[in-house]
Amino acid sequence: MSDDADGVPEENPTILLIGSGPIQIGQAAEFDYSGAQACRALQEEGARVVLVNSNPATIMTDPEMADAVYIEPITTEAISEVIARENPDGVIAGLGGQTGLNVTAELAEEGVLEEYDVDIMGTPLDTIYATEDRDLFRQRMENIGQPVPRSTTITLDEGESVTELDGAALEERVDDAVEAVGGLPVISRTTYTLGGSGSGVVHDREELVERVRKGLRLSRNSEVLVTESIAGWVELEYEVMRDADDSCIIICNMENLDPMGIHTGESTVVTPSQVIPDDGHQEMRTAALDVIRELGIQGGCNIQFAWRDDGTPGGEYRVVEVNPRVSRSSALASKATGYPIARVTAKVALGKRLHEIENEITGETTAAFEPAIDYVVTKVPRWPQDKFEDVDFTLGTAMKSTGEAMAIGRTFEESLLKALRSAEYDPAVDWADVDDDELDAQYLERPSPDRSFAIFEAFDRGYDVERVADLTGIESWYVERYARIADAAKDAPAGEFELVGDVGFTDQQVAALADGASTSAVVAGGDAFDASAHLDDVAATTTDRRFKQVDTCAGEFAASTPYYYSARDPISGIGREEVQVDTDVESVVVVGGGPIRIGQGVEFDYCAVHAVRALRELGIDAHVVNNNPETVSTDYDTSDGLFFEPISAEEVADVVEATGADGVMVQFGGQTSVNVGEPLETELARRGLDCAVLGTSVDAMDLAEDRDRFNALMDEMGIAQPEGGTATSREEALDLADELGYPVLVRPSYVLGGRAMRVVHSDADLERYIEEAVRVSPDKPILVDQFLDGAVELDVDAVADGENVLVGGIMEHVETAGVHSGDSACSIPPRSLDDATLARVREVTEDIAGALDTVGLLNVQLAVKESESGAEVYVLEANPRSSRTVPFVSKATGVPIAKLAAKAMAGRSLGDLDAEERIPEHTSVKEVVLPFDRLPGSDPRLGPEMKSTGEVMGTARSFAKAYDKAQDAAGSPIAASGTAVVHFDDLHESFAEHYDLATFDDEAALFGALREGKVDLLVTDRREALATAVEEDVPYVSTEASARATLAALDAKGDPLDVLPVSDRPTVAREWGGE
Amino acid sequence: MDAYVAMEDGRVVAARGRAPGRTRGELVFTTAYTGYEESLTDPSYEEQVLTFSYPLIGNYGVRTERFESERVHPTAAVAREFTDEVAEWLENEGVPALDHLDTRDLVTTVRDEGAMKCGIAVGEDVTPEDAREELANCVGMSDHVDIGDQVSVRDEVVYEADGDGPTVALLDCGVKGSIVSSLVDRGATVHRHPHDATPETVADCDPDVLFVSNGPGDPENFEATQATVREFAGEVPIAGICLGQQIVASALGGTTEKMTFGHRGVNQPVMDLESGQVVMTTQNHGYTVADPGPLDVTQINVNDDTPEGLESDELDVLTRQYHPEANPGPEDTLGFFDDVLGMAECRTPLLAD
Repeated sequence: MSDDADGVPEENPTILLIGSGPIQIGQAAEFDYSGAQACRALQEEGARVVLVNSNPATIMTDPEMADAVYIEPITTEAISEVIARENPDGVIAGLGGQTGLNVTAELAEEGVLEEYDVDIMGTPLDTIYATEDRDLFRQRMENIGQPVPRSTTITLDEGESVTELDGAALEERVDDAVEAVGGLPVISRTTYTLGGSGSGVVHDREELVERVRKGLRLSRNSEVLVTESIAGWVELEYEVMRDADDSCIIICNMENLDPMGIHTGESTVVTPSQVIPDDGHQEMRTAALDVIRELGIQGGCNIQFAWRDDGTPGGEYRVVEVNPRVSRSSALASKATGYPIARVTAKVALGKRLHEIENEITGETTAAFEPAIDYVVTKVPRWPQDKFEDVDFTLGTAMKSTGEAMAIGRTFEESLLKALRSAEYDPAVDWADVDDDELDAQYLERPSPDRSFAIFEAFDRGYDVERVADLTGIESWYVERYARIADAAKDAPAGEFELVGDVGFTDQQVAALADGASTSAVVAGGDAFDASAHLDDVAATTTDRRFKQVDTCAGEFAASTPYYYSARDPISGIGREEVQVDTDVESVVVVGGGPIRIGQGVEFDYCAVHAVRALRELGIDAHVVNNNPETVSTDYDTSDGLFFEPISAEEVADVVEATGADGVMVQFGGQTSVNVGEPLETELARRGLDCAVLGTSVDAMDLAEDRDRFNALMDEMGIAQPEGGTATSREEALDLADELGYPVLVRPSYVLGGRAMRVVHSDADLERYIEEAVRVSPDKPILVDQFLDGAVELDVDAVADGENVLVGGIMEHVETAGVHSGDSACSIPPRSLDDATLARVREVTEDIAGALDTVGLLNVQLAVKESESGAEVYVLEANPRSSRTVPFVSKATGVPIAKLAAKAMAGRSLGDLDAEERIPEHTSVKEVVLPFDRLPGSDPRLGPEMKSTGEVMGTARSFAKAYDKAQDAAGSPIAASGTAVVHFDDLHESFAEHYDLATFDDEAALFGALREGKVDLLVTDRREALATAVEEDVPYVSTEASARATLAALDAKGDPLDVLPVSDRPTVAREWGGE
Repeated sequence: MDAYVAMEDGRVVAARGRAPGRTRGELVFTTAYTGYEESLTDPSYEEQVLTFSYPLIGNYGVRTERFESERVHPTAAVAREFTDEVAEWLENEGVPALDHLDTRDLVTTVRDEGAMKCGIAVGEDVTPEDAREELANCVGMSDHVDIGDQVSVRDEVVYEADGDGPTVALLDCGVKGSIVSSLVDRGATVHRHPHDATPETVADCDPDVLFVSNGPGDPENFEATQATVREFAGEVPIAGICLGQQIVASALGGTTEKMTFGHRGVNQPVMDLESGQVVMTTQNHGYTVADPGPLDVTQINVNDDTPEGLESDELDVLTRQYHPEANPGPEDTLGFFDDVLGMAECRTPLLAD
């Protein structure tokens, strides 16, 4: 569909912007950032923006972000209704990730866009198809003379059979194919087999012949694809921008540290490229411009190349892939350079030319330029390896990471060390147990989340650069710099600190090295060290870190809204001050949440951004410390000063010092920021800085996390808790469990977030748990608690100002106790609680808020268990800080509790703020999105360990319809009819009202039916069956509680979708649990 | 090895020495992060101390096939970090090099205070005083009146192309190798003359185009070159790049001026006033055309509106302030050389006899 004569009007058009839905592996917060930036850019141009996204945890779905915000499923059905209501002139598809792109294509195919005369703005659909179809793409590249990896197929002639084919004839075909793609090694790929089996790099002719023989036999269409192997080449990405006048620029290039063969989202990535000469860089730059022109892209686009040094001045390259839209890489490129790709893309879609768009960072140049940078950017992914012990985390062509951290330094060493601190990833390897052979095979040759740490370990063992480069396939230039870090670290125990600091370690890390810690252990942590006696010595010796600007131009122009990174550059004596903040006004540093991981998602960025906005509303300058390039909090215009830094006490204290901040907020960035609270107080005191940790005291936060102190407090207040205790040995644990009665809930006391938590049903279970999972000891006790079987779980989010408490909302979980609260669907308002119970919930919340002297947010998790004497309310956990349900509550009720909290922490009373509680008249259901399809081998059953990556919200007049909409939004819609397999006996009859129920003689028959697409819904708690459903993308329900909710939703199938802007949903001013 | 940079504003910055020597020059910076081999061998950096704003220089080695001339031209090189390979190369070339200093501080100082004189001292026992002495002997760029002699060929050199393309008379004011090869690759035979070649010598090769090259320093110090341009104006099409554009404009009645700190980098946006299209260009100049005289400004710099392209249909003139030959930098404007040779082909037969 192209612009026709009566296309999008130039004056004040209505633009539909489609978001990317829930956070999932491969699609994280980057589209919240790009969508939020686009909303503002479009409104600046006078457009009326209509936004649709199902993810309530995003900034883009804040009511004030667009003229109409719909938190609705991203399905053609829901969006068609939005289009009918809003009558947009155009839709921008390229800003909502693959989700936004796909649904736009479907809307076009179904004729909806034509019916309502909605133009696709920016990049046309044809282009999207051309990049997604391998053959079409190859053809288009060949048309403009761009090299793509060479490829050919070996086929059987009609009537020919591979068993009859003689050896010589087969060998001849194989030889021809190898010659056609430029010689061995090649990638042999059998087409249309399941799960890519039979694919791989082949170095040897005999092996290839065998593979082809086997492939031809197995392949459904008797075809084997032979492709030139570019494994081991350097992988690069170019971010390109083009306007309607055909002005094209490159925003930056990015070089993957890990060679070709590992998904760029899984790779450590460096900007700008380090190992490519100018000739090669310019050849690829020109190629990128030729490609973007050929494809007719308008706006941002990402092109991947493979490159190798073949001895010519410029080397040799191949075009690998084009992403015709804003992507994760564009978020990274934007943050790495300061060039706002989403903003410019949105304006280009409206017809603006690049030179007509202001560069807001310099304030004096335009978007028609290529950023110059004078620093090194390193991105490292963050993997959920700790959550999935059954999953093989070998890195490959599919993404498994959930998020990423970005760091900036003046050398690669500094940049890398900052990135590793920012990622907060601690490898679960005890190197002492790993011999050299295993180190080589499992940790250096095999790419894994632990590889950077393994490289340091290798240097500590005396490996040389060449050996490490050979094993890892990483360019020597990079390996040499790892070696420099390892070499520098060796100085520390000798009392030589300066050079160790210069390479990029923090003083804390240098002190830990001085105490004898190994490099591989130290690089992972920012604050995870015991106070070292060396610290003051180290701090006095090392070069001070100073802040430098990210200004898009490498200093060529004075910047008006730059952001900052720290570096230990030599002190020049010129003493130019780069930080442009007013140190005399009241200001506060808000600590962000770092990379997105399971349990700490985009919700915390939402909270941090709201804190910033609240402070600015009060006239207080707000500075942000964060390192996640995907987020709104790290956008250059979100705060008064953005500091792209690792979140360690030392580095946050640097920001406090540079900005002269009066306060620092650690409540909003999830566990990352909470953890920094205590060491930060120590560090601020050590430096004599007059800056307070605002809100609820660090001690109260610690009290809430300290099992014993918290128990005592609850007892004192007469608040019920599940019975339980701490065991420091196997015997103690067994005794305790017997005393409480099985089932019991067990977990180690030293990890948070439900990690390694289990419900165990017998002594044998418990012993196995202790044996395999935790190894209980006096240093590492385990907690054993009464398990409230069948209890209803609740979440409460509240705000307190030290005197008064405002309850944001009470949420009732769909899942019963035993499923992590972060993995359970929940509804607001609660659907099954009576007024007396709600009143008790309120009372308990207020009591805890008072007892903890809460100033700011408070999240309380409770369980309600029916007994003979009525419903008893138990407290499971209380956390005086932001929770992952804060944005959901705010979207459902319209009460901005994160902002209220920030204002309370800044000293305002809830009374002054005119805050009031509101109860929604419609029901909103939050549903989670689980990553099992991305992590082969994972156990798809829900349990006490959180596994979900993201969430969606569905709202309707009834719980049942809201639940149905939430399933649609989560991408697992409940079929209205068809064939179901139900393993919960109690529910057979109910499901039979909607489905034909199928039964099978054995598991194998069930798996077969699932694979053949004969099952429309699987209702079971059996792991293998669920795993098959995940693999085959068959909708499933894995708990009895969610099966009951599903039945309710089935009954509501006929109800209207009830699509409405979020701010049009009615609420009443009334207290939760009030009279 | 110790190292010091003494700056015109009185400050002295300490650094780590990587290649010894004492020297002086105009302190300038480039924002390109690839192309250090090309930049260091670019004759336009003659008499200048080149600071790289990108911190890591030398990552992909040193290869002569990427050089733009026979030698290193800046008097000294400064970076946050040079690789050993680059440091050795500079030492062999006798060019002082220093690193481990805060180059961003230098760059932003030059940005705010303008390109300035500086003195450099690098060696085992050098002192800040040594650098100051060098600074005291440093003269301004416009006072290097004989700079053309330092960078130009002494005698004519001819580069034959295959086939019978046009003949280009190139006035070498410090030409980059890529300009010559861009012309030869397009079939032109290039006669490279010294910058002060007389009009008569130049006429001997019967040029279809007179091409004035890039080069260092103040265009007003290239009087002989300007005289030759005036002689050929209206007779033979004239083209120029960088200093060449300034010389042509000045020769034909325009004026030039020194810029605060100039344009040096590979990301300079240039807009064509007719098409509205913006392209990225490589630049390296400290002077610019102030008044184009009889020429039309057809392209401008998007950042500061300075003239980037001058043309005259009447006089058959086509010049660029930026470097269409790239090396380093974007290849967006290679078409310029086709346009130049196109002028030659359209040349009026009047001049044929």
